[in-house]
Amino acid sequence: MTADPVPPERGAPSGHGAESYRAIGRPVTRSGGAERVTGAQSYLTDLVFPGAAEVAFATIPVGCAEIVAVDTSPATALPGVIAVVTAADLPPSASRFGISHQDRPVLASGTVNFHGEPVAAVVAETSDLARAAADAIEIEYRELPGVYNLADALTSDARLVQDPSIRPRDPLNDTNVLETADYAWGELEPEQARTHLIVENTYTFPMVTHFPIEPGGVVAAPTDDGGVAVYSPVQHPYLLQRIVADLTELPLSKVRVVAPDPGGGFGGKQTPRYEPLLAFLAIQTERTCRLVLSLEETFQLMRRSGCRIAARTGFTQDGQLTFHELSADFSIGAYADVAPRVMTKGSYVGAGPYRIPVVRVAARAVLTNTTPSCAFRGFGAPQVSWATESQLDAGGRQLGIDSLEMRRRNLVGVGEAFICGDHEATADGRWHESLERAAELIDWSEPVTPGRGRGIAVGIKPGATSGLSQSLVRLLYDGSAIVYAGTSDMGQGARTLWQQILAEELGVELGRITIISGDTDVVPFDLQTSASRSTVFMGNAVLEACRDIRLRVRRLYAEATGIDEADLTDSPGVMIGPDGAMPLVEAAQAALGGLRGEFVGQGTCRLRGVQGHPLGGDAAFYEFNCTAVEVDIDPDTGELLLTKHVTVGDVGTELNPLQVVSQDEGAAIMGLGHTLMEQVLLDDHGRIQNLGALDYRIPTFNDVAIEMVSDSIENNDGPGPYGCKGISEGALLCTSGAVGAAVADAIGVQLRDLPITAERIWTAMRAADARSAE
Amino acid sequence: MTQYRRPDNVEDVVRTLSDAEGNGRLLVGGTDLLVAVRRRPLDPLVLVDLKAVADLPPAIEVTEAAVRFGPTATMSDLAADSRLAAMFPALVAASRVVGSLAIRNRASLIGNICNASPAGDTAPALLIYGARVTIVGRAGERTIPLSQFFVGPGLTTCGPDEFVLRVDLPRPADGYRSAFERLTRRRGVDLATVSVAAGVSAEGSITLGLGAVGPTPLLTETAAAVDLEDVDAVEQAVKQLIGIATPISDLRSGREYRQAMIAVLARRAVSAAARSVGTKGPST
Amino acid sequence: MSERDVSRELAPVKVTLDVNGTAHRLEVPAHRTLLDAIRDDIGLTGTKKCCADGECGACTVFLDGRIVNSCLVLCAEAEGCSVGTIESLSVGGLTDLQEEFLAAGAVQCGVCIPGQVMAAEALLQTNPTAKPAEIREAMSGNLCRCAGYERIVAAIQAAAKRRGSSR
Ligand code: FES
Ligand code: FES
Repeated sequence: MTADPVPPERGAPSGHGAESYRAIGRPVTRSGGAERVTGAQSYLTDLVFPGAAEVAFATIPVGCAEIVAVDTSPATALPGVIAVVTAADLPPSASRFGISHQDRPVLASGTVNFHGEPVAAVVAETSDLARAAADAIEIEYRELPGVYNLADALTSDARLVQDPSIRPRDPLNDTNVLETADYAWGELEPEQARTHLIVENTYTFPMVTHFPIEPGGVVAAPTDDGGVAVYSPVQHPYLLQRIVADLTELPLSKVRVVAPDPGGGFGGKQTPRYEPLLAFLAIQTERTCRLVLSLEETFQLMRRSGCRIAARTGFTQDGQLTFHELSADFSIGAYADVAPRVMTKGSYVGAGPYRIPVVRVAARAVLTNTTPSCAFRGFGAPQVSWATESQLDAGGRQLGIDSLEMRRRNLVGVGEAFICGDHEATADGRWHESLERAAELIDWSEPVTPGRGRGIAVGIKPGATSGLSQSLVRLLYDGSAIVYAGTSDMGQGARTLWQQILAEELGVELGRITIISGDTDVVPFDLQTSASRSTVFMGNAVLEACRDIRLRVRRLYAEATGIDEADLTDSPGVMIGPDGAMPLVEAAQAALGGLRGEFVGQGTCRLRGVQGHPLGGDAAFYEFNCTAVEVDIDPDTGELLLTKHVTVGDVGTELNPLQVVSQDEGAAIMGLGHTLMEQVLLDDHGRIQNLGALDYRIPTFNDVAIEMVSDSIENNDGPGPYGCKGISEGALLCTSGAVGAAVADAIGVQLRDLPITAERIWTAMRAADARSAE
Repeated sequence: MTQYRRPDNVEDVVRTLSDAEGNGRLLVGGTDLLVAVRRRPLDPLVLVDLKAVADLPPAIEVTEAAVRFGPTATMSDLAADSRLAAMFPALVAASRVVGSLAIRNRASLIGNICNASPAGDTAPALLIYGARVTIVGRAGERTIPLSQFFVGPGLTTCGPDEFVLRVDLPRPADGYRSAFERLTRRRGVDLATVSVAAGVSAEGSITLGLGAVGPTPLLTETAAAVDLEDVDAVEQAVKQLIGIATPISDLRSGREYRQAMIAVLARRAVSAAARSVGTKGPST
Repeated sequence: MSERDVSRELAPVKVTLDVNGTAHRLEVPAHRTLLDAIRDDIGLTGTKKCCADGECGACTVFLDGRIVNSCLVLCAEAEGCSVGTIESLSVGGLTDLQEEFLAAGAVQCGVCIPGQVMAAEALLQTNPTAKPAEIREAMSGNLCRCAGYERIVAAIQAAAKRRGSSR
């Protein structure tokens, strides 16, 4: 890897340039793409399991209740019913489980803690029968005064979502606060003295759901060796394997997890939920058991935590930040899942990529009787960024300094710290370049048409802070190759990148590379597919495996030909000997000789955590994005028309420009969802009112900006292969901030609650009119 | 459990409905009905498919004096019909925003009104054009104005063993103009938060059909002619007309916003209608 | 429920329909959707299921030449009809449209893509010179949560261009 030592001109394309690589940087089309455009790709529910029994759940129509009695006999009596299982029917090993907190029951036991939590499961011969039987189960329950929002959860006499016995050693177990995170640096007093303006506001971010187009499901089957095979479109097969093994008391070797490519993950398919239950059902009934989820059921399985952020921010007269205080409460739902981590990591970068002498961040993960929240693209950062970006604009507007200038004056330069204290974090990219590029692309210096407004915002997210990815590469005799890499390919196109790396390093043709993933029996360990880590972690592991092969080829070639190894050198795709260069695959074939065989290379990428670090370690990289938008507001209805949407990511190196642009645009448009329309609405009983596609609105073709521009800054400065960084979350980090700023620019009023609906804009305009009439 | 019937004549449809004892549901496009069936698969509904009935009126029949719609007329049929677009622009505009293209290929006009959703897209337009609904049952046919058809959310005067055989729209009088306006939460496919169809006559009387601002789609008309050039007069007239609206708060919008938007949309629809080119009456 | 004889009530409806040129005789419960019949009874899983409410377009198929959401059609209703699924498009290799989807980077997780391709095919057949705004309008019943919307519009435009120049 060669890094460009000369700082490129501002705004000029600064990339390494694809010319010097054979496969890297090229718009290689998606591996698995042909299968996907023809319908041949098999997602979980497309797989055929002959003789499988179907599973359905019995639930109750409230969000919080004590289960008084469950009469399963009406269901058991029905024809075609194989088993009806409640918590009482599970073996003692089926304890509560979780990632950081062991708090989720395999089936609701004693109480129902959120709308849709399964009380009983039916296994039947067909899905119709399973559904009919589940509906026949009589559940007697007593509704309890559940806490469905932050305010209710945090009152002193709030009902506890979790019984203190679930976390006996936790000093906070008599409250609904599951975990807290505090970050602080700097001395407040001196900074207050030079503060010219203090802005204080409260912001809210709605609960939103992932809405994958593949709702998915789980299949579990008993195996011949007395174990169990679990099929799930899960992003972390090895985590699932461990949890199922723990709960069923089976050795890892007898728990096989097969993870077909997810049809959209976005973080929602990382952690085990119903998989342990299905494993028990399969073991108990000795049948393959299949659960197919409806879209509605996914709303009750995954969501982003809602958030309320109170912010107090100081500025000097010329717009420099002096201090920034945030208190952020995340409504995480009934069980922990990975939400405490979302809270910790999201609020860690809560103050943004800015130079701020004093920061105080106090965040809490608050339990509520709602769908347990989990990872969701952006991982807590979009919530807090919404407040911080809006604060910057609120300050700027009062000071008469525009959004771009506010960022120019406060954004850190490369190498400069934006998180101070014991575990400082510094900018690992030239972030100003993204800011300037976005400003240029939205024509920031041109005057805005009346009725329109422009906004610009930046967002940052820490990548993985520890990790382990292992990969095996087999270079076969005929010059084709097989890569074993556990990364789940859920749309980011990971497999395409592995192909590109092999093509680059070994000179194997793209079409002759097979990628194997998603089966714990076959593929070596990969910690997880999350935090946009794969390109960096697994990418490096694959790269290392390729270089391992190159080394082995050189050695064996020397041995086979009698040429002194010192006279041989290898470089990407070629072997250079005394007689010149030859393709590496030819050298490999010559080295293998008449016995044929193959080369096996191994690669590992390990990032160890750091003791005492609030995140458990330094982020391997930061995703940085700048988003700029222009909006047109209808003065009568408050309707917002997005006229232009610019997103610029600091990507290090574009390994594949097609994938970069599609990930970037996809994230940006997804960001419009929670910014403009998405929110899970609950009624007084904690029931999701907009349960399903009819009333939960996500962006369509027509909701995208009239003009959308996605661009990248390439400085080859990432830790991944060829200087790349993770890229797939950046563009939604600050969408809300940019749109919020544009709306404020257009109507003169700042909105602080997401989503920014037409109704909210209209209400804000009307309130402002009323104020000015006074 | 759901049952399916596919009668081939009108008489048989009526018989099947009456045998179903209140559980019969007419099926044409199914775009609303099947959404409900999925949620309650165990209900003992009898789905009566009209698509094989031979003696139904044709989907769209245009005569000198009127246009007649049969049960099988789909939104796509309406959307693509240039004769309709000239006479009933508000109806055609409404038919073009019902669901997605794939939905419009199935959804029927008559199904849309029988669903009796207060937010139904086509009802406001049909109302301003003076649509008449012909219902058939054991006692034979009866014809009523559409304005008397709706009873409440999801409720019509159509009995459990009756069904709507056709809808007739008289050709508008000379110089009549109309337009449709609608507000939704997002720009792509959505249910209406508020919708308005407006018609103005050559003499300047204004008719409004209002959607999603009352228990049923509403029809209201000015008593006297209004000078359509006079912005204040139109504003006043509209204000009075929309007085019949009784919007509520729901998932899609709060009451107050609906109330305000009905005024905005009504004003816009009236002025769009006034600006548009009028239709020619039946005599020319 | 317990007293009811569920198996009697699940008494099947006999349906004959043509799928991708092959006649199928099925016996299905009355409430079985065309989507479920295509996927589970006929075994063609290229047509996807998400919302089952006609809102996402993942289940788009041609029914007697027009695209419909197969989740909102009963299998029984398709009696005597001809159905075209995604599998019918590419029997002789990828279509120009499918190639353009790949070339434009329109395919991310891919689960919405069969429905997108079907809707786009219908659009190209009815409006071969559609402008971007018309493409967006016509396609807005097909959700893509990976939000490849810009890429898909580009793919459709490119395919339209190819078809235009080959005419
Ligand atoms: S599954 Fe048919 S439209 Fe969503
Ligand atoms: S490609 Fe993933 S939903 Fe469209």
